[in-house]
Amino acid sequence: MIKGRLSLSPSTQYKLKYSSFDILIIFIFIQVISVAFGLIFPEKFPFTSNINISTALEALPLIGIVALGVGILMISGEFDLSVGANFVFSSMTMAVLYSNGWPLWTSILAALISGLILGSLNGIATLWLRIPSFIATLGTTGIYFAGTLFFYGAAAEPFEPIGNYSFVITGSFGVFSVEFFWMLILFLLGWVMLQHRPLGGKFMAVGGNLQSSISIGINVRKTKMIAFVMCGLLASISGILAAARVNNVSPGGASDLALQAIAACVIGGISLFGGRGSILGIFIGASLLYWIQDVLLLLGAPGFYLSAFIGVMIISAAYFYRFTRERKIK
Amino acid sequence: MNNQDFKKLLTVNDIGKKFNGISVLESINFTINEGEIVGILGDNGAGKSTLIKVLCGVIEPDSGFLEWQGAKVVFQSKNDSTRLGIETIFQDNALVDSMSVARNIFLNREITTRYGFLSHKKMVESSAEVLSKMTGIKGIESTEKLVGELSGGQKQAVAIARALYFKNKIILLDEPTSALSVRATDALFENLKDLRNKNFSSVIVTHDIYNAFNVCDRFIVLSKGRIVLMKQRNLVTLEELIKHVSRA
Repeated sequence: MIKGRLSLSPSTQYKLKYSSFDILIIFIFIQVISVAFGLIFPEKFPFTSNINISTALEALPLIGIVALGVGILMISGEFDLSVGANFVFSSMTMAVLYSNGWPLWTSILAALISGLILGSLNGIATLWLRIPSFIATLGTTGIYFAGTLFFYGAAAEPFEPIGNYSFVITGSFGVFSVEFFWMLILFLLGWVMLQHRPLGGKFMAVGGNLQSSISIGINVRKTKMIAFVMCGLLASISGILAAARVNNVSPGGASDLALQAIAACVIGGISLFGGRGSILGIFIGASLLYWIQDVLLLLGAPGFYLSAFIGVMIISAAYFYRFTRERKIK
Repeated sequence: MNNQDFKKLLTVNDIGKKFNGISVLESINFTINEGEIVGILGDNGAGKSTLIKVLCGVIEPDSGFLEWQGAKVVFQSKNDSTRLGIETIFQDNALVDSMSVARNIFLNREITTRYGFLSHKKMVESSAEVLSKMTGIKGIESTEKLVGELSGGQKQAVAIARALYFKNKIILLDEPTSALSVRATDALFENLKDLRNKNFSSVIVTHDIYNAFNVCDRFIVLSKGRIVLMKQRNLVTLEELIKHVSRA
C-alpha cells in the first residue's frame, strides 16, 4: 500500500533522509566542541568571548547573504562568478552617491538597482546569448571590476552613514549586529520561497532536469532569469551591509568572494550539477566556512593555513555528499 | 454535433512536416476516439516521434491541422495541448530525480493555498491516492520518496499518475517500454487497459510489436513519414503487422 502523510513514519524518514540533518549534526557537534574548548581555555582559545561572538555575527552575514544568492542560482543549474565584482560596484555606487549628497535611502536604492541590473546582465549573457554561465560570469567579473575603476576611480571611498535611519544598516543589539538579523530574514524568505512556493520547485526542476522542465511546460528562461536577478540583488545587499560596517569601500576588495560563496554552498550540500540543495545547507556551509577562519585566527595559525583548510573542507564535503548520496540511492 | 462526432477527441488532418527540405511526415490523417488505445508502429526514422511531438505541440506542422472534439486547434507549445487534456509521457518520463514523487506529480501545477503557498499535505495525500489506484506498483512507501530512488517502472507509474490526476483525456506515450522490465511492462499495459475502461485514450509509440498487439485497439504503421497501414485490432494479424513494420 502506498502511504502519504496519514502514515507518518515513512514520510518522516524520507524528510529526514533528504534534509540537511546530517550536516546540521556535524555543525552542532563542531560548535559544542569549540565552545567547550573556549570555556576550558579562555585565554588560549577565546572562542566564547563577547568580541569573538560579535565579530562572527558581523562577518558571517557578508558571506552568508552572497552564498544564499549563489546557492539558489546553483540549485537552478547556473553559476555566478561575478558576485564579488557586483558587491564592490554596488557598494561603491552607494558610497559615491552618498558622498555627493544623495540621501541615504536613495543611495541604498541605487546600489540595489545596480545589483539587480548586474545580475540581469549575467542572465542575459547566459540565457539569451547561450554562453555557459561559468564563462559568461567570468567575463562579466572583469567588466564589472573594470566598470568600478572607470566610473569611480581606484581610491577607496569612505561611507559613514548618519541620521535616524542609518541604524538599519549599522546598528546592533548587544552582540547581535543588525546585518545578522538581515541575514536571518533573507534566509527565512529564501526558505519559504524554495520549500513553500511553486517558484522553488521550478528552480529545482530547471537545475535538476532541464529537458523534463521543458517537457512539462516550465518557462526555463524566466525561472533562471529570476535566479540570476536574485543572486545579483543579494550580492549588492551584502555589499551595502559590508560598506556600512567598515565605513569604507575598496574597489579592489572581494575578489575571492565568489569562490568563497561557491565553497560555502558545496560544503552545505548544494550540487554543482544543479537541482539539489537546501537553504539550511547554505547557512551551515557559510557558517562552517567562517568557523574555520575564526578557529585558525584564534589559534594564531599563519594565513596560508586558511586556504589549505578551506580546500580540505571543500574536498571532504564533496566526498561526504558523494558517499551519503550513494548510500541513499542504495 | 452528432453522437459519432462526440466520440472523436483528436483528429489529424493532412499533417505534413519537413526538416531541411526533407519530408518526415506527409499527408497524415487519423482520429483518436474516446476510450481506445492506438499503437503507432514503425522502424527508426519512420516519423513516429515527430508525429507525437506534433500531437502535443512541441513541433508545429508545416501543413495540415488538428481538430479537438471537432474544432480546429493550433498548438503553439506543449502547454496548449496540456490545457485541452493531452498528457505526453516522453522517454525520460519528464520527471526530476532530485524531487519527491508528490512534487513531481504536481510540478508546474501545484496545489496552493489562497496565499500562494504550497499545500504539501494535500499534494502528498492526493498523489498517494492516485498512485494507490494503479496496478502493480510496489516499493513507493511514501510519495515523499525521491523519484531518483525509483525503478524505471515506478517512474513510469508516477508519470501516468500525473496524467490520471489531472484527468487528461489522451495520454501520449513515446517508447514507454524501452527501459522497463517484463513485469513493469505488464503493469504498464494493465494500467492502460484500466484507463481505457474509464474512457481515457492512449497513443503508444513503440517498437514492441508483440506487447502492443495484445493491448492496442488500433494500429497505425508509419514508413518514411507516411501511413502504410491503419487497421483495427480484430482486422489484422501479428504477422501482417510485423511484415509491414519490417518492410517499412
